[in-house]
Amino acid sequence: MFPLSSTFDTLLALQEALDLAQNGGFFERSTTSPGIYPPVNIFERSGDLVLVAELPGVKKKDLNIEVKGNTVRLAGERTIDYGKDISYHRVERNSTKFDRTLKLPYNIESDKVKAEYKDGLLVVSLSRAESDKPKQITIQ
Amino acid sequence: MSDKTKEVTKTESQKPVKSEFAGEKTVPGKYYIPRTDIVETDKSLIVTMDIPGVKKENINIRLENNDLEVDAQIDFSPYEKLNPVHTEYNVGHFTRRFTVSNVIDTTKIDANLTDGVLTLTLPKAPEAQPRKIEIK
Repeated sequence: MFPLSSTFDTLLALQEALDLAQNGGFFERSTTSPGIYPPVNIFERSGDLVLVAELPGVKKKDLNIEVKGNTVRLAGERTIDYGKDISYHRVERNSTKFDRTLKLPYNIESDKVKAEYKDGLLVVSLSRAESDKPKQITIQ
Repeated sequence: MSDKTKEVTKTESQKPVKSEFAGEKTVPGKYYIPRTDIVETDKSLIVTMDIPGVKKENINIRLENNDLEVDAQIDFSPYEKLNPVHTEYNVGHFTRRFTVSNVIDTTKIDANLTDGVLTLTLPKAPEAQPRKIEIK
């Protein structure tokens, strides 16, 4: 009989492989991967969407934000360099390259997008495209 | 596999982005342990912490009996007018404590905050710095 733990491990690995294939962006019709990093919080403020992401240590010039239709792409990298002749005691932060594309419920007015990066926090204001706004119909 | 099982395995395989601080605090709200690097050079120890969203004036660094404590408070006021529709991470204060040995010159500790990263430079006392011994 197989030990129970190794059976679970095998199943878990299979599940992970399937998840990766399914959620890895391969089957989506987008050119960039959906990704999971950075995690984002999305808020609503008077009809507009506000996207907030924690990106400590990323330089402004290394951040790349693109908006097209109803998708937002957050790409960039964080490099950590302590220079030469050092010894590490503890390493919990890492250098990362990220690329994430989010699909929003409606089209975005790309000219009105405002992005602000302060204290390691990225705040992107996204307003709904005029052409995508619902129209009020008056009954005659 | 059912959706429920899938959900469980997915949560298990995901590493937490932030780890919550388990100790007791007098301030309400969640506390997180900031991710920290500690590196040593010939002259100093450098402690680097990720504390996104914290303003310079809300960071409290205290040194007491060789205990170095960093307490960083988040200003929640910008979130008050926002209505959350999709959340992937929690927002909270940050706290972490380190024990500093006697080899550190505690009077010359330097702190700097850039892009949500706090860098503490703890210079070594002159007697603790490496010396090259010449053979006569």
